[in-house]
Amino acid sequence: MLKMLNQERIVGAIAVVLFIGFSIGLSGFLSGSNILSLIQNVSILGILGIGMAIGIIGRGIDLSMVSTMVISVAWMLVMVNSGVNLWLALGLAVGFAVVVGIVNGLLIAYVEVPAIFATLAMGIVVYGFGKSFLIGQDVVYLPRDESWFYHIGSGQIAGVPNPVVVFALVALVAALFLKFTKFGRYNYAVGDNVATARITGIPVRPVIVAQYVLIAVIAVVAGVVVATAVTSMNTRLALSTQVYDVILVVVLGGIGLSGGKGGVRNVIVGTLLIGILLNGMTIMNLGYTTQNIFKSVILLAAILIDTMLNPRDEQTAQHGDI
Amino acid sequence: MTALLEMKQVTKEYRGVPAITDVDFRLEKGEIHALLGENGAGKSTLTKMMCGVTQMTRGEILLDGKPVNFLTPAEALDHGVAMVFQETSLVPSMTVAQNLYLGDEKLFNRIRRLNIAAQTFLQSMNFNVNPTATVASLGAAHKQMVEIARAVRKNVRVIIFDEPTAALTPEEKHHFFSLVERLKQRGVSIIFISHALEEALQIGDNITVLRDGALIETAPAKSFDRKRIIKAMVGRSIENSTHGVKRKFSRQGQDRVLSVQNVSMGTIVKNTSFSVYSGQVTGMFGLIGSGRTEVAKIIAGVAKRNFLNGGEIILEDRSVRYRVPRKAMQDGIVYVTEDRKAEGFFETMSISENISLGFQAAGLNKNAVVTRSEMKALAAEWTRSLNIKAIDSDASVIELSGGNQQKVVIAKSLVQKPRIVIFDEPTRGVDVGAIAEIHQLINTLADEGLAVVVISSYLPEIMSISDRILVCRAGRVVEEFDPLEADENQIMFAAVH
Ligand SMILES: Nc1ncnc2c1ncn2[C@@H]1O[C@H](COP(=O)(O)OP(=O)(O)OP(=O)(O)O)[C@@H](O)[C@H]1O
Ligand SMILES: [Mg+2]
Repeated sequence: MLKMLNQERIVGAIAVVLFIGFSIGLSGFLSGSNILSLIQNVSILGILGIGMAIGIIGRGIDLSMVSTMVISVAWMLVMVNSGVNLWLALGLAVGFAVVVGIVNGLLIAYVEVPAIFATLAMGIVVYGFGKSFLIGQDVVYLPRDESWFYHIGSGQIAGVPNPVVVFALVALVAALFLKFTKFGRYNYAVGDNVATARITGIPVRPVIVAQYVLIAVIAVVAGVVVATAVTSMNTRLALSTQVYDVILVVVLGGIGLSGGKGGVRNVIVGTLLIGILLNGMTIMNLGYTTQNIFKSVILLAAILIDTMLNPRDEQTAQHGDI
Repeated sequence: MTALLEMKQVTKEYRGVPAITDVDFRLEKGEIHALLGENGAGKSTLTKMMCGVTQMTRGEILLDGKPVNFLTPAEALDHGVAMVFQETSLVPSMTVAQNLYLGDEKLFNRIRRLNIAAQTFLQSMNFNVNPTATVASLGAAHKQMVEIARAVRKNVRVIIFDEPTAALTPEEKHHFFSLVERLKQRGVSIIFISHALEEALQIGDNITVLRDGALIETAPAKSFDRKRIIKAMVGRSIENSTHGVKRKFSRQGQDRVLSVQNVSMGTIVKNTSFSVYSGQVTGMFGLIGSGRTEVAKIIAGVAKRNFLNGGEIILEDRSVRYRVPRKAMQDGIVYVTEDRKAEGFFETMSISENISLGFQAAGLNKNAVVTRSEMKALAAEWTRSLNIKAIDSDASVIELSGGNQQKVVIAKSLVQKPRIVIFDEPTRGVDVGAIAEIHQLINTLADEGLAVVVISSYLPEIMSISDRILVCRAGRVVEEFDPLEADENQIMFAAVH
């Protein structure tokens, strides 16, 4: 019975408990406008989390994700505001992200720079490049336009807020992709053991490049939701610690940093917990630092309970013949 | 008299499935006890319970007559029980001396004193290892010596060796056995797991045979012979065993499919040349370190190309030099690795996922989408034909016994429908019955017209399955033998001198 509990379920349960607790204890938590903003934030975190999960499953990580999201979408808005056709601008923004992804992938797969350093540097480069050459102001606003595109972040379909719809779509596509396509299976294989993947004849390097391209494209999707939800894109977001929240979501959901494990479901539970927590703490008016303490305590608790209930397989923990 | 270590009615279950059932086991002071059984019989599991790597589900373990249940290997070590794994638990980036004294460092360590102490200690055991070498630079045998030295230094009373000789050259084996004898004289008790039955007969005082997790018999080694052990292990006698059988015919090669000309790599492969023919098994014999694995890795694109310095590899009639194994695989060349844990399988994945990844990588599945049932069917076919045993079909490969892992690695390569297969130590860690099966498989492949290369440092294996024998020494192929004419001494001589 206790064995039925794994990190995914524990985290899911904590999320439910928190939600109920906040609903009872925090006035304003259940109000319509708060729930809406909660949903928006959760969805954005979730979309980014799915991108990050693809990387982490393949034993990579992308610290440049938030910069890519911010700069590509802000650039798109700058272009639209100066009269460029929306679709052309969107195409260019996606193109920009793809280039970032390819460069990340090439650095990591071919030059063999550790992912954490390559993408850390890339994040800084993307932000610096964007701010110096593409985007003049700190905050870029949406144009006044009635195209449906600008309601992606704010409207709803059949009573379901659009960000949730986008999150659900991204999650669904990613889940099918990871489970059933060749790339998906290869990604797990590379995360499990690169040497074995290589010797088996899996195109390891192309798979790694594809990983970072996918992450970058998903970042653009998240960016579109962000910008259309709050009618602007604040480039300072790239300097925030949001990327760590994203990693937290992924790890908390139970996707091990050692790669090869987990899936979209883990991201969803992680997102719910962190989203609810962040929202509740903001309503309680907790300071930024205090919030971080809570986040890390929760992460540690989840990992602790998981290792206690599901001790790491004795075999894998040990060196030696099985 | 109470035994040093005793197990009474011990049972170990993994997810409710027993791996060991009601086993009694006694280890006396100063005895060498060989533990034998087929792959998956539970040898590793039994010993892992003694040394705290895993815990029993039921039963009792007594040390000096007092019940114990070690929760960690460190705790077992404190009580004088150590296990030496086949893949070592040394820290690769540290030196031999640092590894020896790992965990016992003083606040301030004088490197020089450490090295001198290590040197004297290693010499006292007749180990020829440089204490200042980093462990990563050592070969398998030397790593194992360091591991043993570390256990001896901790003054242990029981040392468990899990397949210690699989990676050793004949000479190193000899050293190893004399070391074991010396340990015994010091009063240390030794448990020794091996698939080489002769070794057990040669050095064991007592032999215990397990089958399917149950104790079959324990008796003095003198009362056993090879036949009786096999009968106890598998429950019947094996007829189709190729062990020690002198070949009566050999296949003529058909076409020359692969020709290696003057290939060199670093200091390991020096200007080696040889050819491989289809429809034939080419055996490559050589001591560990003679460059066999490296040549194979160059051919199959596993070795990074920039280390190559010179030479040509000709596949049929064109010159090839593969950058990645994928390209070699697409041309029909696969390499079945000797180091299954490092590069052989995907440990978190199931048997069927492992096999189907090989299948997909070869581009053999028709659809872009992979369904579970397709994977299952494929796996079922191969588990049947290679007789892979697992407690359930979704078990991840890391949960399989060593020999069954090896079969998964083989299946994952053969599913790619290669034309040239290079097996590197294909039967390392595999039991007698399974060795016969794998040899059978290799013969079938050759009969079907594939070019098969078998690299092995076990001479009886080379003798019994090769149609021609290439001997490697110091980085090159030095001589070719016909197995019908050559005898073992000639071949060994060529490999050593
Ligand atoms: N961690 C685990 N989880 C589940 N099953 C396991 C685990 N470890 C071992 N087993 C199962 O227990 C049985 C005994 O395995 P064990 O490793 O002890 O065999 P062995 O005798 O050492 O075989 P080999 O000679 O192949 O190494 C096997 O069926 C194996 O699949
Ligand atoms: Mg074993």
